[in-house]
Amino acid sequence: MERFITEANLQQFAATLAGKKHVLAPVASGGTTCFRRLVPGMRLDFSRMAVISPKDATFPRNETLLLVQRYVEESGKKLELKEQLPEGECIVIGSRPCGARGKLIFDPVYETEAIKDPYYLRRRDNTLFITLSCDRPESTCFCHSVGSNPADGTGSDVLLTAVEGGFFARAITPKGEELLADALFEEAGTRAEEAAAKQTKARELMGQAHDFSSAAAKLLERFDDMGFWQAQSNKCISCGACTYMCPTCYCFNITDDEAGLVSRRLRSWDNCMSHTFTLEGSGHNPRGTKAHRLKNRVGHKFSYYPDLHASQIACCGCGRCIKQCPAGVDIRQVVMAAQEYVDER
Amino acid sequence: MSQLEELKAAIRGHLDSLDCVIGWEQGYDPLHATPLFIRNESDLERLSISPLAVHNPATYATGFAGKKIGMVVRGCHSRSIIELLNEKLIERENVVLFGLCCDGVVSQRKIRTALPADPGFVEAVEIGDDALHITLAGEKTTIKLQDVLADKCRICAYPDPLLADVLIGNKHDSRPEETLACQEAFEAKPNAEKFTFWQDTMSRCIRCYACRNVCPMCVCQDYCIAASRDPLWMSQENSPAENFMFQMIHVSHLTGRCTECGECERACPVDIPLMLLRRYMNKQVQEVFGHQAGTSLDKTPPLLTFQVEEARIKERDW
Amino acid sequence: MPAQDERELRIVGFLCNWCSYGGADTAGVARFTQPTDLRIIRVPCSGRIDPLFVVRALLNGADGVLVSGCHPRDCHYAEGNFYARRRLEMLKRFLPITGIDERRFEYTWVSASEGQRWQHVVTEFTRRIHELGPAQSFNPATQEEWFNLALNEASKGEACACHGS
Repeated sequence: MERFITEANLQQFAATLAGKKHVLAPVASGGTTCFRRLVPGMRLDFSRMAVISPKDATFPRNETLLLVQRYVEESGKKLELKEQLPEGECIVIGSRPCGARGKLIFDPVYETEAIKDPYYLRRRDNTLFITLSCDRPESTCFCHSVGSNPADGTGSDVLLTAVEGGFFARAITPKGEELLADALFEEAGTRAEEAAAKQTKARELMGQAHDFSSAAAKLLERFDDMGFWQAQSNKCISCGACTYMCPTCYCFNITDDEAGLVSRRLRSWDNCMSHTFTLEGSGHNPRGTKAHRLKNRVGHKFSYYPDLHASQIACCGCGRCIKQCPAGVDIRQVVMAAQEYVDER
Repeated sequence: MSQLEELKAAIRGHLDSLDCVIGWEQGYDPLHATPLFIRNESDLERLSISPLAVHNPATYATGFAGKKIGMVVRGCHSRSIIELLNEKLIERENVVLFGLCCDGVVSQRKIRTALPADPGFVEAVEIGDDALHITLAGEKTTIKLQDVLADKCRICAYPDPLLADVLIGNKHDSRPEETLACQEAFEAKPNAEKFTFWQDTMSRCIRCYACRNVCPMCVCQDYCIAASRDPLWMSQENSPAENFMFQMIHVSHLTGRCTECGECERACPVDIPLMLLRRYMNKQVQEVFGHQAGTSLDKTPPLLTFQVEEARIKERDW
Repeated sequence: MPAQDERELRIVGFLCNWCSYGGADTAGVARFTQPTDLRIIRVPCSGRIDPLFVVRALLNGADGVLVSGCHPRDCHYAEGNFYARRRLEMLKRFLPITGIDERRFEYTWVSASEGQRWQHVVTEFTRRIHELGPAQSFNPATQEEWFNLALNEASKGEACACHGS
């Protein structure tokens, strides 16, 4: 199904939805643009890619897994557990193709024969993505090098493309078609061609894709070369900006918050760049330095994950980790350095 | 000889005796610089000292414990080094400082606001004496450097390195007298307004700890109390209160030690104006203890010492 | 006494073992009437009090925090309260930028023999906290509060007056 909507109507469409459902959308506030829960009255900001990815929709930074209530009675102690499965639908409006596609990296991990993560699966199945295709790549964009493109609808339910006067909308899933049935959407007319031309131009602007196919093997070759990783991680400051902004990073931590007789089991994003990520109870840390940790982050995305999951690179090419890194670590360059490595000894 | 050439010559003379020299080079696009770790002549060729080179090399200083390194430092960076020396966190004989008399660096946030489109689309940048000529999405825009100077530079009292083994450039005779209107306006707001500002701003924080890890004075790093489960200072919950608690930890541990290099605010991916807290606290330290961190050698941070009679702390009557 | 005719507020008191806790004890033994809002946490010395204890208490919902130690020059460990004085003074001066009313926090000195002074301090401080009323929770308490807050901040748009003018 193909439709058209003016920008004003899209804003109204979002506001109406936000009145009924949990809507996440890029909103400009305090000098930056982030995905946040849309409240009727807020305006969507399409002018730039949101700093933080829409990952929050399917994998929130923080969620309560269960609540625990203890009772101490004369007859003995009792424990009551309450599972907190996520309820309700969520709609993400204004994600970019990379952000919507990035969440697919979670599936082979959270939905296997042996393990099914009920929290993640519920969220995934109850979240719709209305994605905006990109009309111009940024210098940090490389979705075309990891098997995607600026108009990729994979992982989305509706794909919007900016055209004269508004947005051309194409439904990708049946749920997307339901969304487009809203009266605010008009006949698409001849706008399909205009949109296609825009998408082609955006892809051309990205230029030649880099071939990462040798990365998996080449990164493994460098696995024991700590000198290489020390040089690559010199400027890394070991913070979590890259992992927390990454649409594909799926690691989490589980902690219990206790207060008297009640406690709460929390799941929150974890960060492989931090010392505590692998710190063992004995005090030993197998990834004791930032060199070890950067090796893991890059290796995981471009080598270990693809090896396990049908050569799929665990990176969607959004470039957030490059753009927002306080020290300017460029994951593309690290991978390329491993690919192009020549032993000079 | 240009300043860059002068600096390169100075570094060249020390390269053999140093593990590396920390400077800057162009980053992922012509508008962004990134730290450079110079170990040989070909690294040295890439050195850049333009106003885009913002990172504080002192951040990395303690990571090279026991090794002898060089650092290219601007005025504020030299303050961080002095403070690290005063706290005996690095040793003087292990650092060679190549000082740059600094005319200020840019704020990427301000550039972003000044440009007609997202700076992600930058194609080329030409750096003039007092302006940046930026080609963006096919169109050329000129921005005056003065308009995009980082706030810390607009009120900088120490543009010239306070400690250096080699000094490049001409020392400044006058200091800017500007005050920051945004700081004053914020401080003057009623409590309720400041409170709601932090509530909302802290809801944006993702607790990536970039502000902590980029801070040259945050030397605990891997052993930060924010990561401790016992004692449990903070929940993993990403709520405004917990996020703000971390900022309170940072402020508290920086009392009398912050050298106002502005790295925390620069590093924040979601642009939280952390310098509002830093500048305010530094002003209090200045008022009570007459102390400015990192401005002279052999000064003890005020919270690590005391006077029996405090001249400027008034005992309260009950 | 305010606590008897109003809802009790949550006031946390950090008292050093040697002087102020003794002072509170003296007041109790002498049966001086005191408001009951204060919950005392006994610590070895005011020098043991990390200003972050106070911040943590305030962010966790305390309506007021009172710290009391030995008078300067009278510290059981000779210097603990000298350090404490500097730290607590800086905390008190810092609070205004956070929007937390600095009157919700106070530090003072009470010796073990000053039962009457303790009564006065705790009565005055409790009165002050009752005048200020219950503290606002830093985490918005309801969904609606959240929405109003977020909407209000988002209405200011891209521009942020708080850095860069």
